[in-house]
Amino acid sequence: MLKIRLPKLSAFALVGTIVSSLFVVSTASAQVADRMVTDTPAGHAGGRIAVALRSDPKTLNPALAEDATSRDIIYCMNADLIHINRETQRTESALAKSWSVSHDGRTYTLRLRRGLRFSDGKPFNADDVIFTFQVYLDEKIHSPQRDLLIVGGKPISVQKIDDYTVRFQLAQPYAAAERLFDGMPILPKHLLENAYKNGTFAKSWSISMAPREFAGLGPFRLKEYVPGQRIVLERNPYYWKMDTAGYQLPYLNEIVFLFVPSEDAQVIRFQAGDTDILSSFSAQNFAVLAHKQETAGYHLYDLGPGLEYNFLFFNLNDLSSKNLPQIARKQVWFQDVRFRQAVSAAIDRGGIVGLVYSGRAAPLWSQVTPGNKLWVDSALPHPARSLDRARGLLKSAGFSWKGDGTLIDEHASPVEFSILTSSSNTERTKMATIIQNDLSQLGMQVHVVSLDFSAMVDRLLNSFDYEAAIMGVASGDADPTSEMNVWVSSGGTHLWHLNEVKPATPWEAELDRLMNQQLITLNYERRKRLYDQVQEVVAQELPVICLASPDILVGAKDSIGNFHPAILDPYALWNVEELYVR
Amino acid sequence: MRYLTRRLVHAMLLLLAISFLSFALLQWAPGNFFDDMRLNPRISAQTVDGLRVEYGMNRPFAVRYARWAYSVLKGNMGFSFSYNSPVAPLLWARARNTLLLTSMATLLAWLFAIPLGIWSAVDKGKWFDLACGFSTSALLTIPDLLLFLVLLLLAVRTGWFPTGGMVSTGFDHLSLWGKIKDVANHFALPTVGLAVVTLPVLVRHIRSAMIEALESPFIRAARGHGIPHRRLLFRYALPAAANPLISLLGFSVATMVSASVIVEVVMSWPGLGPLMIQAILSRDVNIVIGVVMLSSVFLVAGNLLADVLLFVSDPRIRVE
Amino acid sequence: MKHRRKLWGALILLAGLHGVVLFAGFFAPYSSSAQDRELPFAPPTRAHFFDIRGKFHAHPFVYGLKDDPKNFGAYETDFAQVYPLQFFVQGSRYRIAGMFYSRLHLFGVGSPGRIFVMGSDGYGRDQFTRFLYGGQISLAAGLIAAAFSVVLGIIIGALAGFYGGWIDDVLMRGGDLFMALPWLYLLFAVRAALPLHIAEWQVFLLLVAVIGLIGWVRPARLIRGVVLSAKERNFVVAARAFGASDAYLLRRHILPQTYGIVLTQMTLLIPQYILAEVTLTFLGLGVGEPMPSWGSLLSSLQQYYVLSSYWWMFVPALLLIPVFLAYYLAADALQERLKTVPL
Repeated sequence: MLKIRLPKLSAFALVGTIVSSLFVVSTASAQVADRMVTDTPAGHAGGRIAVALRSDPKTLNPALAEDATSRDIIYCMNADLIHINRETQRTESALAKSWSVSHDGRTYTLRLRRGLRFSDGKPFNADDVIFTFQVYLDEKIHSPQRDLLIVGGKPISVQKIDDYTVRFQLAQPYAAAERLFDGMPILPKHLLENAYKNGTFAKSWSISMAPREFAGLGPFRLKEYVPGQRIVLERNPYYWKMDTAGYQLPYLNEIVFLFVPSEDAQVIRFQAGDTDILSSFSAQNFAVLAHKQETAGYHLYDLGPGLEYNFLFFNLNDLSSKNLPQIARKQVWFQDVRFRQAVSAAIDRGGIVGLVYSGRAAPLWSQVTPGNKLWVDSALPHPARSLDRARGLLKSAGFSWKGDGTLIDEHASPVEFSILTSSSNTERTKMATIIQNDLSQLGMQVHVVSLDFSAMVDRLLNSFDYEAAIMGVASGDADPTSEMNVWVSSGGTHLWHLNEVKPATPWEAELDRLMNQQLITLNYERRKRLYDQVQEVVAQELPVICLASPDILVGAKDSIGNFHPAILDPYALWNVEELYVR
Repeated sequence: MRYLTRRLVHAMLLLLAISFLSFALLQWAPGNFFDDMRLNPRISAQTVDGLRVEYGMNRPFAVRYARWAYSVLKGNMGFSFSYNSPVAPLLWARARNTLLLTSMATLLAWLFAIPLGIWSAVDKGKWFDLACGFSTSALLTIPDLLLFLVLLLLAVRTGWFPTGGMVSTGFDHLSLWGKIKDVANHFALPTVGLAVVTLPVLVRHIRSAMIEALESPFIRAARGHGIPHRRLLFRYALPAAANPLISLLGFSVATMVSASVIVEVVMSWPGLGPLMIQAILSRDVNIVIGVVMLSSVFLVAGNLLADVLLFVSDPRIRVE
Repeated sequence: MKHRRKLWGALILLAGLHGVVLFAGFFAPYSSSAQDRELPFAPPTRAHFFDIRGKFHAHPFVYGLKDDPKNFGAYETDFAQVYPLQFFVQGSRYRIAGMFYSRLHLFGVGSPGRIFVMGSDGYGRDQFTRFLYGGQISLAAGLIAAAFSVVLGIIIGALAGFYGGWIDDVLMRGGDLFMALPWLYLLFAVRAALPLHIAEWQVFLLLVAVIGLIGWVRPARLIRGVVLSAKERNFVVAARAFGASDAYLLRRHILPQTYGIVLTQMTLLIPQYILAEVTLTFLGLGVGEPMPSWGSLLSSLQQYYVLSSYWWMFVPALLLIPVFLAYYLAADALQERLKTVPL
């Protein structure tokens, strides 16, 4: 047996060791202390999940990504300063440990967590934040994020105070300022600075690059990409969150994203067990999957209505510069609010909810859905469907009926128009068919014209060669400011009447006033009252006739732990770092 | 020889014409790649316009065509807006998958069609012919899409076959032999589906051609001579029936890239089909042109093959 | 003679089918756009002779439906609602051949009972009614498009094969060009560029014409191949030596050689074009709502939940088989008939 002789420690050496180890421990804990501790129940480490996505991502560069697939993957690979918790819909700290707001609401000072590293091991500090916002705000990059950072007509400015403190200045107080930071992933300066300086930034971080050229602060980093088939993310060993037991998140070792182009194929693969999580699918497929729920080892969740709202609207654009006499003639009908109210009164919203969504949707009378609990105006009246009321409104607007029931206007022209929908969206085409049948009971002859998406958009935005259309908006965030461009008269998505130099009607001027006011009001109650008024104006004047909002439906295998889907995107993976395999 | 060179020159000119016309057609359809972005309320119209300028979408048609042609010569085949990368590498990877599928399916289809067609023709009017006729008619009436969906349903309900894709999730961890088996497993169903769909037309044509050949005078004469039945069939009737069959073979080759679009979409096979459809719907012009050009090359090659084979096989044509 | 009987049999079958479709208003119990929003995806209604107590009724009847509480979207029979099946009833108004009005229907049940012979679709519309009305559009479309293609194919293929040389080259290369063009895109472009105010049926016919125009290439190539070899036949050479003109040669000697191919092509094309209509409807380029066509009836099957849960939606696909078989039978019989005509 070997005798191990312990070295004799002198007193100095002993003290020195203790002191230095205390020093090491304190700095280490100073680093550990800046990690975020989550409060969800602890899970097991290890495992891999597979999720289906509709298509290949277009880019993995957060400054350039706009489509849903790219954003879903970027979400798992990156982190932001202030994050919106999808479950509570409120902001919480992320990379910014804490922040303070100045009195006038125009200056935000954020203190960053210390000792964090990117997924390639390089340290993170304020330089990365400055660089990130420099890129987002650069006009030559044309980043979609840039528009979100323009407050009061001026881009926000960002300054470095020290290595772990940054200050943001806004031109005017902005109610949803904190929420701005969610969805603004922080880029690694050390990897992208050269490309930015050389002007090749737009080509950087395209999907054809090698995994080691990417780095982010998210729970996962890129492992492998096979075009047309899958993208594999692996655990980020430097991630800055840990659970209450001190285990560094994420729990999962790998996430595999499979590219499955159609919803039906995704449902089939989920049913076959190829994928572990299924997110956003139709109500009819829900029914198909629900039959086997108990025995097949998965569960489905109906989370209630999300933020998407579908609506019918009429062409109220100024057609004087276009050669569309037939549509201009019909605009006389569309511009009469009683006509629009009659159409709204005749639509069978219950039928739409039942037939299009198999009951898994909520009927809507204004653009805010019941799922948006913080902002929905619960006092808004929901008038029941009434053909009599519709007929009364039409009569008071000067319409009358011929012997065979056809509706005619004051000049005895029969009321006939077409509704435009996108051929790839079966739900909205179905809604159009139901509305066509409903309005035929008023004596209106309605045609459903189904075009491919791009052709339809061209008519809506450029040629204005349409009469009515059905569209939907899926808001990214519950906050009203994400919809400014829809309701403000100069907005780019003010679909029923684009390119307004000044508001065309008194109620649109009112909408402008209310929306701009709520933008700068910081107090939630006052903002809510303003936005309630917006909803009332919309429900009264009906620039858009809201129809229904589909429920958010997700499914997951029973083996997935900590699965808490929410109605904000990404529905199933918003807490991906907490998911684990039982 | 002269014939061949003449046809090759024509083929080149044809490809050029196709590229030009396709490019022109793609500009004609309304809408562009950035429409989706335009409808997003969080992105301003100025940003979208800026992107359009950056990608050169506001330049005149001739300039854009010239730039694309130059890019083809450099081997890039244009730049894809969706994938933010040159089109060529995207195409090759997908084309390989598509060709794997269609060549196997074509082989399978012809392998079965020839004996079935010949037997039907020989046994004309008897039970085999009627049964064959009935099944081919039935298969022809069912839309391809429906057939693939039913096959998919079968896969789901029985679990015998994978329900989509080209490889399983754990592919990287398999041995070489395991990888080959995995891919074969995944492409069994799409291949069989595609073969079944192309089979009926082939069988009907083969049968029709064989019947005409078998009923022609010289065969009757040969029969009268006492030539044994099998020799009659394969050495006399079949070559005579070859004419329309060669055109069909050429057609099979010609459509090798485009025939599998539907099956690829339904079974999530990562080929050119889903790429093309997605590119059309999102107006990613350069990918669409790239796929069109690739399938045109096959088309032209297939027709060329058919014409050359006809020329070589049927002496009656050569007398000119 | 045997083929004469076969031919007549096939023609009578076809006439019968087309007749039923033409008088769809009479044979169908409902109008093609009537929605019953309480009964989407209802299974086919069964007619009963025996009631629940086992008693026989000479007059058949149907039961009503109510929602199945255990299974969302499914129904169970409501034995409390009994509706006798009536014949030659008055129902919704329809036009015969676009001219006369009538209200007479072959069969029906009293409201609120429903008789869904082939079940109902996602809007609660009777599939049987829509199948009959849909036939009017689909059969017409198939015939027109096939005729277009074949006529074009004959003209071009014969010219190319007969004259050879540069005419042949130009025409065949033209055909290659045609086949190579992204026709999908062409159709999108055509549809998108059309003004809003064209009637839906006109849009449809236009699109059908376009497919017909695209489809001439394969028949043309096949015909060209046959003409190429036919024109060198002895009797053709002999006729030419006798001073026959090109037109005479084509008409009398060469084209008859192609009839077999032409007929085969035609019989294959009619169903193919009806199937092409399914693709168009799938992509949203077909007939607009609420006009039914066989394509729109089948297009809902592309959705997985329909395919796996509602088997009766598959029936129109199965019913196409006898229709197409009738065509194939007629074609086969015609082919044989023509064979016996001396050249």
